[in-house]
Amino acid sequence: MIKFITKRLLIAIPTLLIIIAFGFIMMRVAPGGPFTNERALPPEIERNIQEAYNLNKPLYEQFFIYIKNLSVGDFGPSFKYKDFTVNELIISGLPVSATLGLSSIIISLFLGSFLGIIAAVKRNTYFDYSVMSVSLVGICVPSFVMAPILSLFFGLYLGILPTSGWNGGSILNLILPITALSLPQIAVISRMMRASTIEVLNSNFIRTARSKGLKSSYIIRKHVIRASILPIIEYLAPASAGLMTGSIIVEQIFGLPGIGRYFVVGALQRDYTLVSGVMILYASLLIILILITDILRAYLDPRVKI
Amino acid sequence: MQSTQKNIKNNDLLLEVNNLNVFFNTTDGLIKAVNNINLSINKGECLGVVGESGSGKTQTFFSITGLLSNNGYCKGSAIFKGFDLISSSKKERMKYLGKSIGFIFQDPMTSLTPHMKIGDQLSEISIFHDNLTKKESLKRALEVLDIVKLPKSRNLITSYPHELSGGMKQRIMIAISLMCSPELIIADEPTTALDVTTQSEILNIFNDLKNQLGISIILISHNIGVIAETSDNIIVMKDGSIVENGSTYNVLTNPQDKYTKLLLSCIPPWLDV
Amino acid sequence: MRLLKKTDNLEMSYSLKGRSLWVDARRRLFQNKAAVISLFILIFISIISVFGPFFIQYGFSDTDWSSIYQPPSLENGHYLGTDGNGRDLLVRILHGGRLSLSIGVIATFVSVFIGVIYGTIAGFFGGKLDTFMMRVVEILYAMPYLIFVIILMVVFGRNIYFLFIAIGAVEWLTMARIVRGQTISLKEKEFIETSRALGQSNTLIIIKHIIPNLAGPIIVYITLMVPSVIILESFLSFLGLGVQEPLTSWGVLISEGSREMETAWWLLIFPGSFMVITLASLNFIGDGLRDAIDPKEY
Repeated sequence: MIKFITKRLLIAIPTLLIIIAFGFIMMRVAPGGPFTNERALPPEIERNIQEAYNLNKPLYEQFFIYIKNLSVGDFGPSFKYKDFTVNELIISGLPVSATLGLSSIIISLFLGSFLGIIAAVKRNTYFDYSVMSVSLVGICVPSFVMAPILSLFFGLYLGILPTSGWNGGSILNLILPITALSLPQIAVISRMMRASTIEVLNSNFIRTARSKGLKSSYIIRKHVIRASILPIIEYLAPASAGLMTGSIIVEQIFGLPGIGRYFVVGALQRDYTLVSGVMILYASLLIILILITDILRAYLDPRVKI
Repeated sequence: MQSTQKNIKNNDLLLEVNNLNVFFNTTDGLIKAVNNINLSINKGECLGVVGESGSGKTQTFFSITGLLSNNGYCKGSAIFKGFDLISSSKKERMKYLGKSIGFIFQDPMTSLTPHMKIGDQLSEISIFHDNLTKKESLKRALEVLDIVKLPKSRNLITSYPHELSGGMKQRIMIAISLMCSPELIIADEPTTALDVTTQSEILNIFNDLKNQLGISIILISHNIGVIAETSDNIIVMKDGSIVENGSTYNVLTNPQDKYTKLLLSCIPPWLDV
Repeated sequence: MRLLKKTDNLEMSYSLKGRSLWVDARRRLFQNKAAVISLFILIFISIISVFGPFFIQYGFSDTDWSSIYQPPSLENGHYLGTDGNGRDLLVRILHGGRLSLSIGVIATFVSVFIGVIYGTIAGFFGGKLDTFMMRVVEILYAMPYLIFVIILMVVFGRNIYFLFIAIGAVEWLTMARIVRGQTISLKEKEFIETSRALGQSNTLIIIKHIIPNLAGPIIVYITLMVPSVIILESFLSFLGLGVQEPLTSWGVLISEGSREMETAWWLLIFPGSFMVITLASLNFIGDGLRDAIDPKEY
């Protein structure tokens, strides 16, 4: 187990390096530096800025300095928010994004799997049809359409929920963003779960279980779920990636001060260090999630050895 | 036509199937898979059911035990010890399934739940039907593993299906059906997926079950050679109907139907059945 | 009697033989009402997007300061209302549809092209090459690819042609995986063995035998990929990183609409509906195709 985790983490290092290098090169080679609109500054001040940000050194040296700083968890200073380091920006946005992301993924996983199982067991009934139609809506209505419509309806029309702001993470402020964020994932997960549960229900070992005269609820609990949940576990990392990108939009629409917002602002203003920092953070999270996926898979399926 | 079997004394009768029809709803319309079948089996008797694939032999017994796939349904009656399995509710039928009627399937490789330990798959059945505790149930599991001649059964209890060979899995399947001391075991092509040596070992186990424990067995196979040795009576099925029916000796030595003759001619002459 | 049945069966098996896989699939597809209706809706939306603007008196960038934020009305010819610059919403939606649909189609083909070539090569040659190529895919999978597209768009400017390529370049991974899996299973089939025994070259086998047999899963995947590409484009445009003014796409319109929904709800609802209906149709067609080509019980 420990050997497996170490091996996986070692494989992750080149992946991370590639991501870091990609971000670094793309942002530096790109036309238009971060200070291009400040050309009016006297040359010596510009030089000072360049020196402070290591921009005057050769590219490869900048890269090594960057890697060295990263290895101790220092993402460097922000190019645009001059009084802040990237770390400070990320830490300030993290509680918002983490609350949003974690609640969404938990809600999507549980609600999605639950609805999928019930729809599969009661397939071709009205319950099944309604779950599948709602999930179709979830798939076809992207979060950037769903979010404004939700806030238009519940915020402006009914006036029962706040349309924007963080407000210290109050539940009322969270309901709409989390709904907009998790709805597409619930839709995808419930469809996946339904399909895989139907496949398991049609498998030979469930026929065996049924021939034992066991109760249906027992069969589903003991024999079906552990086999049919596997594709959902595999989907954990893609779902999280979807939530990360979704949160960029949702934070924008609901005016939440999360990491996603910094990312958009950083991208629009060519804040190299901020954008690379967010990208590296997200990539590391995904790598850890893939590791968790592998461990969970081995736990659920005894045929998988780790 | 089925009169030969009806003469036997009624109190020995275990299962009697009357006018059974099985239908499937498919995209090409309604398909009749089993056509008006009558059969019966007595206590301690072994009934062989032969037929080519698609002849409806498996679906006959799936329909009796409520294992038909979702698009299938059946008409008729199947009286097991005075209880109609077909007209009864699912809940009532489940009291017999696994308890008095054991089912063994064709493909042992995929018929065991891959993520459950063998011990759990054995014990759950008597925990459910006989209200045994987990411990008592595992003790019972060791007993039945002994009956199916699985050595080192203690280790087996904690292993997973993928760690066993095909022959071992089929013995586990038999063991599962034996957990609650059933009166009838329906074995659907139990040896088809196995190699010849394992095949004969499994058939020997069936012989022991019949002769020593007095369990009635319905042995379904496309291979008349597999059935000949163990069964007392034989039913030959084709296109969902019974074409021949009688004692094993009669059917084998003096087949009446053209199709049965055809089937018999498939057995190599050096096999003395 | 029994003999008669036997001939019945024979006749049936002959008549079954006469139907090819594709004919059968088409029959099943046309039995699927949702898919057929969706197909018509999709064709309708495509046709009005392409030809509709020619029949509307307003141009898509014609501003009219005398009629800003007009709600939908039949009288003044602004059937779906106007935006803050007095531009006709209907003609803008149709123009946006042209762009969104063509980005969906073109970027999908870019990614299918890359994915099919990559996947067949990895699957067909196998061994170390396969391990390496799939390793690369796995690494790319671990990356938050949408964030990559955003960075690509930032770096190379918000050029519409680059948008096609950027989206296509990140969407090919799943295609490559599917194609590789299919190729590996096809490779073992007898007819490939036969062609190999006949001395056909690898390239010929791939082009003549492997790729045609991949058609089913590829077609299904394309219909499911076009909607995700349309969403991706709109996503970028929503953030202001995709299609730029004066051009417009559904994403741009939705983005504008969501900012002004408090004063003019139609600016959000109509572009959103067009997009959602298109996405739903594509999904129904994709599901229908999947069930038609690979029928299973669902």
